[in-house]
Amino acid sequence: MPARSTAATESAERVLVITRDFDAPRSLVFKAWTQPEHMMRWWGPHGFTVESCEMDLRVGGAWNLSMRSPAGRVDRQRGVFREIVEPERLVFTYTFVDESGNRGHETIVTVSFADVGGKTRLTVHQAIFESDEVRNDHVRGWGEALDHLAEYVKGNKK
Amino acid sequence: MSPDQLTTTFAALADPTRRAILARLASGETSVTELAEPFEMSMPAISKHLKVLERAGLIARGREAQWRPCRLEAGPLKDVSKWIEHYRRFWEQSFDRLENYLREVQKKEKKNAREKHRRD
Repeated sequence: MPARSTAATESAERVLVITRDFDAPRSLVFKAWTQPEHMMRWWGPHGFTVESCEMDLRVGGAWNLSMRSPAGRVDRQRGVFREIVEPERLVFTYTFVDESGNRGHETIVTVSFADVGGKTRLTVHQAIFESDEVRNDHVRGWGEALDHLAEYVKGNKK
Repeated sequence: MSPDQLTTTFAALADPTRRAILARLASGETSVTELAEPFEMSMPAISKHLKVLERAGLIARGREAQWRPCRLEAGPLKDVSKWIEHYRRFWEQSFDRLENYLREVQKKEKKNAREKHRRD
């Protein structure tokens, strides 16, 4: 089956970029991302179930979600909304917290909802760095460096 | 992999000079003098960057007194690559589920609209 999404490791500002087209109007797709009752129905990898989801949908408002893995492990994810532009753009911080309360690295997730003839092109950017200074710096240089490093790592995987 | 280690790695990778040093080292081990050449920077400044990279476990330095070659260490980079891969899977699979869910919601909406139309 051909991949329906494109994933790329581009610049660090957008370390992870995933795009997919959905056969639904973007008002609905935006709702699916911003209303807990919708989120609970699809968020997470195959076999996972969302046990609780709370969202204070305003800039500076927190979101909290707990998710059970097929093996029964419960992970939490949380963050704060940075930008809410209905129905185009959603920016939030994202931190993974495991069962023992260990926090993962905080990332910034930017979700864009583009209208493509009544369908929706969804793009998720996930960035690993926090400060604006550092973020601007990523625009140059990083993509190339990461490519080199990725090649190097690939060569070392054996 | 511990989140702290990942944060240390990301912090080390956040600087363009350090990334350039790593990119250079990807093509083989080299001396500090050689590493410093492309940069308009003093040796102490370069040494400082190397220390950050060394502490993050991204490079290792030879023990020879005069010529302490630097080389890239793959471990933390593999962790970064694993971390990215983990999130890539997370989103791909969430998107699969979102696709199904949106289909379901729209089917239901259409059905409701039809029923409403019949009632009216």
